Amino acid sequence: MLRADLTLERLSRGALLAVICAFVLTVWSPGFADALDGILEVRSAYVNVDKGVFLLYARVEYPVGPSLRNTLKDGVTLTFDLDARVDRERHFWFNANIVDLTLRRELSYHAVSDRYLVRDTRSRDQQSFSTLDEALDHLAKVDAWPILVEPQLDGGNYTISVRAGVRRGHLPASLRAILFWTDDWARVSEWYTWSLPV
Amino acid sequence: MVTPGVSNAPPRRLRWVAVGQGVLWAAIGLGAFLLLAKSVQNSPEFGRLQLWILLFDICGVIALSVLLARKVWRLVRDYRAHVPGSRLTARTVAIFGALVIAPLLIVYLSSLEFINQGIDSWFKVEVKQGLSDAVGLSRAALDLRMREYAERTVALAEALTRSNAADVQARLDAERRTSQALEVVLFGAHTRIIAASFENPLESLPSAPPPDLMQQVEQHLPYVSLEPQAGGRYLIRTAAALGAFGSRDERFVTATYPVPAQLAALSEAVQNSYSQYGDLAALREPLKYSFRLTLTLVLLLAMLAAIYGAIYSAQRLVRPVQDLIEGTRAVGKGDFGTRLPLPSRDEMGFLVHSFNDMTKKLRRARAEATQSQQVVEREREQLAIILARLSTGVLAIDRNLTIRTANAAAGAILGSDLSAATGRPLPELAAGNERLGQFVAALAVRFAAGREEWREQLDLDGASGRRALMCACTPLPGEDADAGFVVVFDDITALLSAQRDAAWGEVARRLAHEIKNPLTPIQLSAERLRRRLLAGMSERDAEILERGTRTIVQQVETMQQMVNAFSEYARAPEMHITRFSLNQLVSEVADLYRSQATRTRIRLDLDEHIEAIEADRGRVRQILNNLVTNALEALDGIASPLLEITTRLESSDDGAYAAVTVCDNGPGFQRELLGRVFDPYVTSKPKGTGLGLAIVKKIIEEHGGRIDADNRPEGGARVRLVLPVKDSTRSATGGARERREQLRRERA
Repeated sequence: MLRADLTLERLSRGALLAVICAFVLTVWSPGFADALDGILEVRSAYVNVDKGVFLLYARVEYPVGPSLRNTLKDGVTLTFDLDARVDRERHFWFNANIVDLTLRRELSYHAVSDRYLVRDTRSRDQQSFSTLDEALDHLAKVDAWPILVEPQLDGGNYTISVRAGVRRGHLPASLRAILFWTDDWARVSEWYTWSLPV
Repeated sequence: MVTPGVSNAPPRRLRWVAVGQGVLWAAIGLGAFLLLAKSVQNSPEFGRLQLWILLFDICGVIALSVLLARKVWRLVRDYRAHVPGSRLTARTVAIFGALVIAPLLIVYLSSLEFINQGIDSWFKVEVKQGLSDAVGLSRAALDLRMREYAERTVALAEALTRSNAADVQARLDAERRTSQALEVVLFGAHTRIIAASFENPLESLPSAPPPDLMQQVEQHLPYVSLEPQAGGRYLIRTAAALGAFGSRDERFVTATYPVPAQLAALSEAVQNSYSQYGDLAALREPLKYSFRLTLTLVLLLAMLAAIYGAIYSAQRLVRPVQDLIEGTRAVGKGDFGTRLPLPSRDEMGFLVHSFNDMTKKLRRARAEATQSQQVVEREREQLAIILARLSTGVLAIDRNLTIRTANAAAGAILGSDLSAATGRPLPELAAGNERLGQFVAALAVRFAAGREEWREQLDLDGASGRRALMCACTPLPGEDADAGFVVVFDDITALLSAQRDAAWGEVARRLAHEIKNPLTPIQLSAERLRRRLLAGMSERDAEILERGTRTIVQQVETMQQMVNAFSEYARAPEMHITRFSLNQLVSEVADLYRSQATRTRIRLDLDEHIEAIEADRGRVRQILNNLVTNALEALDGIASPLLEITTRLESSDDGAYAAVTVCDNGPGFQRELLGRVFDPYVTSKPKGTGLGLAIVKKIIEEHGGRIDADNRPEGGARVRLVLPVKDSTRSATGGARERREQLRRERA
């Protein structure tokens, strides 16, 4: 009886110790030299209507620092997203989403030419800049981005929300499943929201 | 768990719950797997499903943890409560757990090391250095071409500086064709295009000079840059200011050259590799972290599942043992109806089957034993009833005369409640009981003499007279040396008395017959002698004859009276049963003697409940006369004579009886005569035939009654007679006459 007691107790202690050690080993990880630290916000945004097309103009402040430059120099690609939503307000219920668009651009360092490339992932257009500041200035300005046409509006109150996001690296599909633990590889700003003047 | 005769399979509801849980968890696991597979193929899909996948995983871990915690808690609770089988379960779980957890931990730690080393090997310094060298090589190859183009552009600027306006266009065209440039443009002040030459003038316009180009040109420094284009193409852009530094000439010339396709493709390949390596290198630590986390989660799930499985398997393994323990306890408590469910067809199943077989046999054996016991009990009860109803006394004793059992008749005969004195020694009970004392002494003497089997008549004297017991002793059979003895005895006093009565009746009858007949001739002959001879005789002889014949006649008359009394005793006249009031008869007799014996006080105590009895009124009156006469004769010479006559109504199982007690305060019966006062010729009086009480007894017995005589403790005689109230009772019990007749027949 006593032997069984001791066996159970030892087993429990051993298992507990092993689990704690495994957790300590696992949870402990070196802090990433985070290239995404810094201010990330939508400074201003507005829409202009040109011939029935709503054009979005936005100014975004992306984080800038030496670590960002080093990250790019190491060959890491950064993805800059600008999310735009147009919602119709509804009483006593959730708002109805009319438009949900993302303007996605990638910034990378071209080692062979020693230039910074900005590439639109959808149109595949790309521009090169001799300095990082020039490239970031280019990314920070979004002009005349068509997000909505008048026929999509059928009265009521509408709100436009804009949010900026930055994400590091291209994840291979096979790694994507196991890397979803790490959520500090992407940052998003608060929503910048205003009412649509109709 | 264990129920008599019923299988303890889990209830149907619980079974369905277990099946439902299994199906639910299988569906959740399959769903999570499908979501994972879908998300890996599609990045945006992954973003949406990530939350659900996480939720599934967390739910799985939590559910498993809860189930395991519940199992462990129950196991610990049972262990502390010393529930049968819990220690075996704990030991089995410990062994199973150790067997599973140890390899898991080894695999886990090895995998961690393998992941760390494997991922680190992907990003060796040599690989990075090789890429950097490739990039440097590409740059060197392109730099050579860029420098060449830059020099050509500077030379062109110097030539244009010297050229007049009319030759500018021609020089630009010539230069573009010579150098195979895509475009050559001459800008003036404020980046105004002065002249331009294009390879395809219809397809493109001169591109605006970039800011860094303008800065270089303004400082009269040559400008050259490599611009990557979409599709893996490269352009080399050069620029040079016209005129000398400090001159007022603001013109500058730009040229755009294509990089040869082969060189561009190689450079692009190097760039792509560099970029991919950078992305992967950045994932190095997060990748390790994720692998470790995933591995730990898998380990946790595996460990939890293994421990849960170990507990579940151990409990399933131990359950038949628990059932056996509970069943054994139930059998120990006498519950032979326990049946255990058969767990399987293995050795444990065989054991359970043997247990069930054993309980079945035990149950059958107990039923048979119970039945036998009931039979024995029933026979014992019957024997007890028989013994209780026996008029024969039965007494079982051991060698030390300690009572083992005794029936009621034994107690009644010996005058002590022996049936309630089981386990007590007879000598102890004999104190104060003279008759029992004599009985015990007779037994002790025979046992002391080593006589174990004998049959003798014992005469026991007591306050109520002498009793004759026909006693037989036999040792009881048994292996034990002191199995005891059984003593069987009958009170044959009444039998002896009846025998004596019958003998005396016969004597009386013969006497009456043989003596009465010659008496009359004797008397007549004497009287004739006196008449014939008296006249012729002398006075003296006549006187002698007269005296002699008178004496003869008187003695004959006396003998005649005696013979009449014998005849009275012997004859059995027909009884004339009538219904009359006993109390009234008693009163009449008392009144008769009150008038004759004025000195004696006669006190009556009559029971008013006695209404009437069925008997021969004349013979009952004769009884009362005899008893009162006897009492009055006994009271002769007593200072204050008192005669009490009491009547009482008594009831028994046979019916109602009327008891009449006649008491006096005289000298009482002589002690030696107490047992024989109703025998003929037994009398203490100087005169009398000695047949009075004998005739009383005879009449009483002919009525089916009984009579007792003893002395009162305060002094004086007491005679108590009991008569049946109804004649039917007398007929049922039988009278003395029948008994007498029976004895007579036996003797004949």
